[in-house]
Amino acid sequence: MLRFIANRLLAMVLTLWAVSFVAFAIIQLPPGDYLTTYVATLSANGDRVDPATIEALRRQYGFGEPYLVQYWKWISGILTRGDFGQSFEWKAPVTTLIWGRLGNSILVEGLAVLVMWFIALPIGIYVAVKKYSLGDYLATVGGFIGLAIPNFLLALLLMYLSFVWFGTTIGGLFSPEYESAHWSIPRVMDFLSRAWAPVLVLATAGTAELIRILRANLLDELKKPYVTTARAKGLPEWKVILKYPVRVALNPLVSTIGWLLPALVSSSVIVSVVLNLPTAGPLLLRSLTSQDMYLAGAIIMLLGVLTVIGTLISDLLLAWIDPRIRFGGK
Amino acid sequence: MTMTHPLQGKRPAGIAIGAITAALMLNGSALAQYQQAPELDALVSSGALPPVAERLPANPLVIEPVDSVGTYGGTWRSALRGGLDNAWIARTVAYDGLVRYDREWKEIIPNLAESWEVSADARTYTFKLREGLKWNNGTPFTSADIAFAVELFAEPSYGGGTFMKNPNNPVTVEVIDDTMFSFVFEHPNGLIMDDLASVNGLTVVSLSKDYCSQFYPKYNPDAAANAKAAGFETWELQMTDRCSWATETIRWANPDLPMMNAWMIDDPLTGDATRASFKRNPYYWKVDTEGNQLPYIDRLDMRVSDSLEEITLMALNGEIDFQDRHIATVANQPLFFDGQEGGDYRLGANVPSSMNTLVLQFNLNHVDEKRRELFANKDFRIGVSHLLDREEIIDVVFTGQGEPFQAAPRPESPFYDEEMAKQYTEFDPDAAAAAFERAGLSKGGDGVYTFGDGSPLKVTIDLISSFRSEWVDMMELMQLQLEAGGLDIELNNIDRTLYYDKRPLGDFDAQVWQGDGGLDVVQEPRYYMASGGESVWAFRWQAWYNGSTPEIAEEPAEWAAEQMKLYSQLREEGDPAKRSELMTQILALAKENFPVIGISLPGEGYYIAKNNMRNIAEPMLHAYLYPTPAPYDPFQWYFAQE
Repeated sequence: MLRFIANRLLAMVLTLWAVSFVAFAIIQLPPGDYLTTYVATLSANGDRVDPATIEALRRQYGFGEPYLVQYWKWISGILTRGDFGQSFEWKAPVTTLIWGRLGNSILVEGLAVLVMWFIALPIGIYVAVKKYSLGDYLATVGGFIGLAIPNFLLALLLMYLSFVWFGTTIGGLFSPEYESAHWSIPRVMDFLSRAWAPVLVLATAGTAELIRILRANLLDELKKPYVTTARAKGLPEWKVILKYPVRVALNPLVSTIGWLLPALVSSSVIVSVVLNLPTAGPLLLRSLTSQDMYLAGAIIMLLGVLTVIGTLISDLLLAWIDPRIRFGGK
Repeated sequence: MTMTHPLQGKRPAGIAIGAITAALMLNGSALAQYQQAPELDALVSSGALPPVAERLPANPLVIEPVDSVGTYGGTWRSALRGGLDNAWIARTVAYDGLVRYDREWKEIIPNLAESWEVSADARTYTFKLREGLKWNNGTPFTSADIAFAVELFAEPSYGGGTFMKNPNNPVTVEVIDDTMFSFVFEHPNGLIMDDLASVNGLTVVSLSKDYCSQFYPKYNPDAAANAKAAGFETWELQMTDRCSWATETIRWANPDLPMMNAWMIDDPLTGDATRASFKRNPYYWKVDTEGNQLPYIDRLDMRVSDSLEEITLMALNGEIDFQDRHIATVANQPLFFDGQEGGDYRLGANVPSSMNTLVLQFNLNHVDEKRRELFANKDFRIGVSHLLDREEIIDVVFTGQGEPFQAAPRPESPFYDEEMAKQYTEFDPDAAAAAFERAGLSKGGDGVYTFGDGSPLKVTIDLISSFRSEWVDMMELMQLQLEAGGLDIELNNIDRTLYYDKRPLGDFDAQVWQGDGGLDVVQEPRYYMASGGESVWAFRWQAWYNGSTPEIAEEPAEWAAEQMKLYSQLREEGDPAKRSELMTQILALAKENFPVIGISLPGEGYYIAKNNMRNIAEPMLHAYLYPTPAPYDPFQWYFAQE
């Protein structure tokens, strides 16, 4: 087991290095750089920027150096000092910008994952056991509607309805009085009173997928002889299903936990913009459009880290629920 | 040798500034007693703040309220779109330069500077600051602060583009005493007062020497090391972070940075802020006609929202007290009109400075010889203009608001010329056909025009839908109209960066943009002459004129070169009447040569104001350089108690 983990850790480091290299390259692919965007905005507004100033700024920011030099500066800053560089647009160190927003992302999206599992697991088990029943069809239709409605549309719909019915605008994660307060019971309540909307929107999207996977896997398992044997031995029905087939059917779900967080972050960008959530998504979008490369690079890098950590967790979980994994390859 | 106030805005007409200043000063000194907001009373009696008379300068600026003297109190709620919407803060909080524009956008009037003198050669500008001005932390605002800003910007490695950093006309400061100083330019500068009165003029008054010199190695030998320790690679980066200038967003993230504005930072606008707020500056140096220290409103509260939908709903729900930015779109107008009663707000009018909803710019400097020749042919552009059914576009896209209009000064502008605005705007396919014939195009059997030599002619027009969504609607209609007339048109919807990168390459047929320069004709002549990088129709001519990118520069056509000569004279001209005369000549050349094609005059804009918010002028002129509503003095707005 230790050797298994050590191997995984080594692979993680290499993966992260590759992610950082590719991420940095992709961000630099579009024509121009942050200063092009900056000058474009200024001159579109009627301001004039002197070419000599731009040259000075270009030197100050280190633009125009070869890609590898820029990359080396960036990555060595992260490794030696934990310094992710400067956000050009915010004129501030990247590290001061991302932690709060990343925390919000993990909080909201983590809740969405929990809700998604909480809804999908019981339904998935139910529809597998009661195959082709009315409940099966209802759950399937409902799940597919959730999958089919674009997230931003559902978000808009919720905003509109809560405005028309309750006269409130749901946006953000806190009411004004709790925004900068410390965590407390009332703040948690306030958070929940607002966060339900984005959590619901994000959770509906993945529910159908989970239900279908679980249903298909469970149907395969339910036909197997060991289930019949367990039934024949007189085990209560709930125990027959929950103790063995469900555990096996969870395998593919658990092995993709690692992809959940990055998938949620990327799928939640537009929802976050529509619902004005202070998460990492809008910051990433904005930094990409303005070519604020160190900020964008840092967020992509951290998403990479999340994926890799998630994958490690799912491997460990898998090894725990399915002993075959531990001995795999031997 | 020197004349007093010869430069009073763009129009020569109007009341002399000297007289206004004298009247205000008299009025100011006649006020024996000043009053302050009740929330400051306790601070004064506890000794935390000096009494109001000591906080105000010797002659505070007396502001005539728009309707009536107001009452203190209240919070003005609005919203920023995302965290980098500094323009809204500039428009509400930050417009306090040495001088400012009046509410008609005609005169330049005193502000921090109570008077100024200009030398006859328009090279030396001497300002007199109000006696006893203070930053919001109580330290004096003096000539030294101005000199510090200019000195800092003179650092080659520091600063953005302003008149202080113009290598073609460098400036130095001569400090005479605490309140008197002069800008001395190497060459005559006729436009500097407009620069100072516009939103760009804030740079020079935005840095407190007392606070900001600690980040500058010239005054603090440890500055570079301190910057490194604080996580910045260079002192310049730390300076931009702590002491950003003018209206840069990051300026509102540092509550320690001294300000001269009516409101000062309460909740800073940092990268992860969801709200930014401002509170009353107890040292603000303006009073109303009864001696009440301004501002009337206690606080400004700005929701930071990436979501236009959220801001729109907030406005409908009565959670916005005043706003026009972002939400006051054509599409939203019926919605906001219907929601007035429910949201307890009203709609007020504003006049955009923009003169056109869309300007179609053919590339007169195309790298392809045949295309260049065609696009540079005035008859070709006349033909295109006659093929456009502008009434249809106005009806379909702008619900009937606006009128057909070329790229020409707005009717409200003193430079308005009806003939220039209306020439070639009638929908007339026959006239178009005749014009194309004169331009040497020939029509094939399928009714589609080709080059004279029979080679196919497809014109590609670049546009960015993300900047103005109505451009796509307009361009699709225009495409149909032009194709009905026999021109093969392709629309190329691209990203904004690519849009800009194509310009120097010169390999594009046409691009579109909005009609800047409707009221700010002199400051923004991009469509009347090849003045700068936004003159896309003649990018290589402007490169020749500005000398910034010699590798692509091309000598302009004779008429365009003549315009550039006139504009250079205008820049150095001290007399406003002569400047107007020169601008009129430039416009006459533009009218004759018809470089770009306009579509329609934008309809009146609007703003949303809470019903009990008073003293808001109507209509307001709306522009970037004239940062509406700031010139209408939001610090004298107030909430009526009902």
